[in-house]
Amino acid sequence: MGTVDKKLEELGIALPPPDSPIANYVPAVRTGNLLFLAGAGPAPGSDGAVPRGKLGDDFSIDEGYQAARSVGLIQLTRLKVALGDLDRIERFVKLLTMVNSTADFTEQPAVANGCSDLLVEIFGDKGRHARSAVGMSNLPGGIPVEIEMIVEVSD
Amino acid sequence: MGAIEDRIKELGYTLPDGAAPLANYVPAVYVESVGLAYTSGHVPRDTDGGFITGKLGGDTSVEEGYAAARSVALGLLGSLKGVLGDLDRINRVVKLLCMVNCTPDFTKHPAVANGASDLLVELLGDNGLHARSAVGVAGLPSNVCVEIEMIVEVSA
Repeated sequence: MGTVDKKLEELGIALPPPDSPIANYVPAVRTGNLLFLAGAGPAPGSDGAVPRGKLGDDFSIDEGYQAARSVGLIQLTRLKVALGDLDRIERFVKLLTMVNSTADFTEQPAVANGCSDLLVEIFGDKGRHARSAVGMSNLPGGIPVEIEMIVEVSD
Repeated sequence: MGAIEDRIKELGYTLPDGAAPLANYVPAVYVESVGLAYTSGHVPRDTDGGFITGKLGGDTSVEEGYAAARSVALGLLGSLKGVLGDLDRINRVVKLLCMVNCTPDFTKHPAVANGASDLLVELLGDNGLHARSAVGVAGLPSNVCVEIEMIVEVSA
């Protein structure tokens, strides 16, 4: 078992099952030492339903934070599928965190922290990334948050 | 002081200190293995360091948005100086994503984004020419009027 897998076990974190895009794109593309991950939404909850909602309206900041954390876990699953071993991650480079927001919602960073905190919790300094957090007028299927990532990987 | 910083001074601009993020992220990441630096989204600040807030199409004019985008570009360079040590290491500005806080019927996002693009070309000449997307977003942190992230090519 790799170092990151051990850390996940220690933290009691289970990765969700892999998803697959439903059109002509793929979850991850590698070019050189960079891996580009497609935007992902949160995993289905224990009731099997994907969270849906808008920040500033029917979704609280805490629910948004948890949804962003869930997106982080989905992206780790995609990384595991793409790399075979999460120990090949050198550094999380960049996140674009898109928050489904009403026109007057301004706390996108508090939502984005759900994913950023998860990455630093698991990867320490390697998890510390550049980030943009922005509000979108809507997202696919009405999900509360979508996050794309750029990750540096080793050979 | 490097050539780009000289130019900033010569044009009467002030390079702000690098941004200090308030959470588990950093202002910019330099990926040495590919020679690219990726910045976080940066937001506009006035001369006192306060956020420049407002919504285009609402309480903020295109001219105000343009000036705000220019201040973001200076902030981006300030953060890159913090990470790279010397702005002259920037070979080329590669890509900007300019996100404009606007009403649903506002359509002049490029006129706002030009504030950043014009400044980068003014300071870096042809090396400041970049690919760019300019889009309208429903809302931004602390209601700032524009947020911009940037990718630059860096020499070792």
